[in-house]
Amino acid sequence: MKKLLFVFVLASLLLAACGGGAATEAPASNEPVEIRVWGHQAPAFNEANQKMFNDFMAANPNVTIKYETFPWDVFIQTIQTSLPAGNTADVILVPGGYTCRYASGGQLLEVPADVMTLDAAKGIFFDAPLGGQTCDGKLYGFPAEYNLEYGGAYVNPALFEAAGVAYPPAWANWDAVVEDAKKMTTIGSDGVMTVAGMHYTNSDQLFTYFLAGILEQGGNYFAEDGRHFNFNSPEAVATIQKLMDMAQKDHIVDPIIFNADSEWVGDSFAQGHNAIGVLGSWYAGDAKIGYPDLVFDYVALPPMMGSEHKFVSVGGWGYVVGKSAKHADIAWKLAAFLGADEANVLYFNSTSATIPAMKSVAADAKYVEAVPFASAVLPILDKGAYQGDLTDPDQLAYEIIYPTILDAIQGNITAEEAANSINEAANAMVDAAQ
Amino acid sequence: MINPPPKRPSFAFVLGKSGAYAVLIVGLIGTLLPFFYIIVSSLKTTAELRQTPPDFFPKQPTFEHYTTILQDKDIPIAQNLANSVFVSVMRVVITLFTSSYAGYIFAKYHFKGKNLAFGIILIQIMIPFQVVMIPNYLLTVKLGLIDSLWALIVPAFIDAYGIFMMKQFIEALPAELMDAARIDGASEFGIYSRIVLPQMGPPLASLGIFTFMATWNDYLWPLIVLTSPEKRTIPLLVVWFQTAHVSNQGLVLAASILTLLPIFVVYIFLQRWIVDQATSSAFK
Amino acid sequence: MAFNTLFKKDLVTETGKLTAKQRRFAYASLTPILLYMGVFTLFPILWAVVMSFFSYSPIREGSGFLGLGGANPFIDIDNYIELFTGTSKPAEVFRLALKNTFIFTALVLPLNLLVTLPLAVILESIGERFKTLFRAIYFLPTISSSVALVIIWSYVYAPGWGLLSLMFKAIGLVPPKSWLQDPSLVYFGVPLAMICVVIAHVWQDFGYNLVIFVAALQSIPKTLREAARVDGANAWQEFWLVVVPLLRRTVLLTSVLTVISSLQVFVIFQLLTRGGPKNQTQTLLLSIYENAFKFANNLGLSAAMSMVLFIIILTLTIIQFRLLRTEWEY
Repeated sequence: MKKLLFVFVLASLLLAACGGGAATEAPASNEPVEIRVWGHQAPAFNEANQKMFNDFMAANPNVTIKYETFPWDVFIQTIQTSLPAGNTADVILVPGGYTCRYASGGQLLEVPADVMTLDAAKGIFFDAPLGGQTCDGKLYGFPAEYNLEYGGAYVNPALFEAAGVAYPPAWANWDAVVEDAKKMTTIGSDGVMTVAGMHYTNSDQLFTYFLAGILEQGGNYFAEDGRHFNFNSPEAVATIQKLMDMAQKDHIVDPIIFNADSEWVGDSFAQGHNAIGVLGSWYAGDAKIGYPDLVFDYVALPPMMGSEHKFVSVGGWGYVVGKSAKHADIAWKLAAFLGADEANVLYFNSTSATIPAMKSVAADAKYVEAVPFASAVLPILDKGAYQGDLTDPDQLAYEIIYPTILDAIQGNITAEEAANSINEAANAMVDAAQ
Repeated sequence: MINPPPKRPSFAFVLGKSGAYAVLIVGLIGTLLPFFYIIVSSLKTTAELRQTPPDFFPKQPTFEHYTTILQDKDIPIAQNLANSVFVSVMRVVITLFTSSYAGYIFAKYHFKGKNLAFGIILIQIMIPFQVVMIPNYLLTVKLGLIDSLWALIVPAFIDAYGIFMMKQFIEALPAELMDAARIDGASEFGIYSRIVLPQMGPPLASLGIFTFMATWNDYLWPLIVLTSPEKRTIPLLVVWFQTAHVSNQGLVLAASILTLLPIFVVYIFLQRWIVDQATSSAFK
Repeated sequence: MAFNTLFKKDLVTETGKLTAKQRRFAYASLTPILLYMGVFTLFPILWAVVMSFFSYSPIREGSGFLGLGGANPFIDIDNYIELFTGTSKPAEVFRLALKNTFIFTALVLPLNLLVTLPLAVILESIGERFKTLFRAIYFLPTISSSVALVIIWSYVYAPGWGLLSLMFKAIGLVPPKSWLQDPSLVYFGVPLAMICVVIAHVWQDFGYNLVIFVAALQSIPKTLREAARVDGANAWQEFWLVVVPLLRRTVLLTSVLTVISSLQVFVIFQLLTRGGPKNQTQTLLLSIYENAFKFANNLGLSAAMSMVLFIIILTLTIIQFRLLRTEWEY
């Protein structure tokens, strides 16, 4: 036993001396290779991916793909802790807004020119999702989808009919949405809201609509230097005021019961707790698996603050290759197979009910046939831009904008105070990062 | 004349005997009710779990969540259980050995620098894990142990509390025993393994049980260092289900109960020992 | 060195002079242990101290020893200045977290004692068989996985239909709309969410102090108490004049232990409230974790935060050791 301990300690010291020296191997073409892929734990994604993996393995018999998935919270942390450790999977399906952060730290491989150039990619993908996979003018991955938390909402026919509201809705403007939502809001006998007419007080939604609201009015949320922010403009204040009024004057949602932490919009909608759920179309795929009996539609929402749709997107999920990938060539081959092959992209977006990042797929009749409710948002896809360099998008969205606006909606601060507070914290974040 | 004092002076003077029991039973319900509630809830169907307001008891008790969790091919639960057992057992074995061995040296040998050496060991007690969590993580990366069960074992070879506890115990063993063995030609290691170790059943058992429970329930460190599904330990599985996008409360509950169960089984058999040890270790 | 003197009493109980062979054995045995402590205890501590003076993120490729340098530059005490005077969100949240951590601890300790002391006194007074049974059950939460306990409490505090709301409704009270998510519910300066977490934590943790107090009560020599009775003391006087003074030290030591452990509570904050609502339950440890592993991966700042936590806990630990050093005499 004493010897054993000694060996352990010695071994650990030795390991310490030569740790982190994983070299890239170049295997012979038919040597068995295992490629690890990491993805998000979403049933619809998994279903779509698994089939494509099988196809890839059939075409490349020497390759076995090991697919590992994680729930959102665990996934982000896992990527962040494993990248520097050189322990990531070969191909990673990273969420929008993260690619550049890892790429600029030197943790990701650039897409090899013979696989795809940035110029070629610009012709293939929409700007917004492509922006999410680009960093300092270089391409680091293939966007798998176009993340869109804007412009569409889930509607529950049973709740519409129960309240005598026309279904399917044909909303001419935002006020019409609010009018319908008001009719469907239900308060229980104990004075507690049991059904929210419209659940828009979720974290991604408040973030998305805050930025979109500024843009719809013709404003800009970046300061002149392009790095700092301008979050206390009149447009920003007006947007926050609008978000507040819908809860405080129109009472279409109780922001204490319905928010990201206490009742997430997706589960809330699936359980019939809101009639209109503002959420990306990607949830439809999961909902069909998690709640097979659920009857719903996904419909277009008019612009909230202006007469035309205008918004930014976080990009979307994308396939990237980590710098520690053992078989980078095969990893890129797989990434391109998943993210750049038109037939596969069509299959993925159709099965997972995600919005295509690839222009040709969005225009494909077969896609609309497979995901009919996506047609609600297809017309506005080219109205979106990538959100730009937000310094630390998570901190900005989840620590600064969402909590502050929720605070205002809950009635604790005014719209001006919220805008000033967001502006100060966001610019302090930029300063701290420099 | 004075009255003879009662045999057991009672402090429950304010309440009386039945009052005392009443308070204890209220406390008992308060302790057990939350456990009981999730156990019965885990037997509800998914529809019943989503029903508002909920019923306390399931209408048709079902084990469907347990069978789902045990059969889902995406969740290597048998592997996760085996990981928890492996890590816990390894840590118990290693901790028992290093603690008793180092405790023996510190208790029975006098040499230069001993106080300093003991001081270094005690530093570990004084440093909260969270302070060294970040460097430990980076160290684990450098050692190449990330995403390996050894990342849970190697940094826990030496347990300062264990050494401290064992040292206290071994000091109380009579020196004559060891001297007699020396005269009989026993080696120093032989004295440890043949004379000291056999006498240490109770404290080793207590240390072992505590190490086992602490390892089994450990969550933050495994969350940081383990990434592959097949490397996870059981508490991570609960979190995995809880944070999944389409929440399935039945699976969360079933996973929670599978996490609690093994410890409860151990506890039922060893509760007296565990509680006594918790009491006495606090005074050392 | 405080340590050298701290346990002098233990260190002088020696068996006498050792031979050279025995000394060699002791050194040979301790060397690997100390080497190991050097790698896994001393080195990480030093590393944490050094890192707190750098702007360090492992997702950036630094240069130099341990990646400290280059893209991860030395920034003097800027991390500390930022924490205590900065206007960035992490710094603001840190200061709030510091305050919350103290509020949490300040509530946990009295509530814990308020539950455990009377319960211990009552428990000590009943028959042996039931005492063992009650004690075993009260101890149950302390041995349970914190993660599973958080799931349990999420059912207790679920809004509208949770166990607690149902109980409120059953006795005709109106429960709050949300136990854990309404930032406007603040009682005596303490947010409701924090109160809920305190209760959940005390429930999980009271077993330890309870069994310690029961043992302390049992170890008070019967003769002392009988003598008081003989002198004509009633039960009340006996309790205050004999038991309470003898229990004082146990309570003091247990209090320090409770405070130290309260400062390190993590799981319940991370999983039950996630620091919300409005950071009302954000604590020091959660901030350290989130800055290091979730948001910007700012390990330098996190290391500086953990140094603050370290200094607080070190102070308390020194107090604890001083208390331990004094003799126990019943």
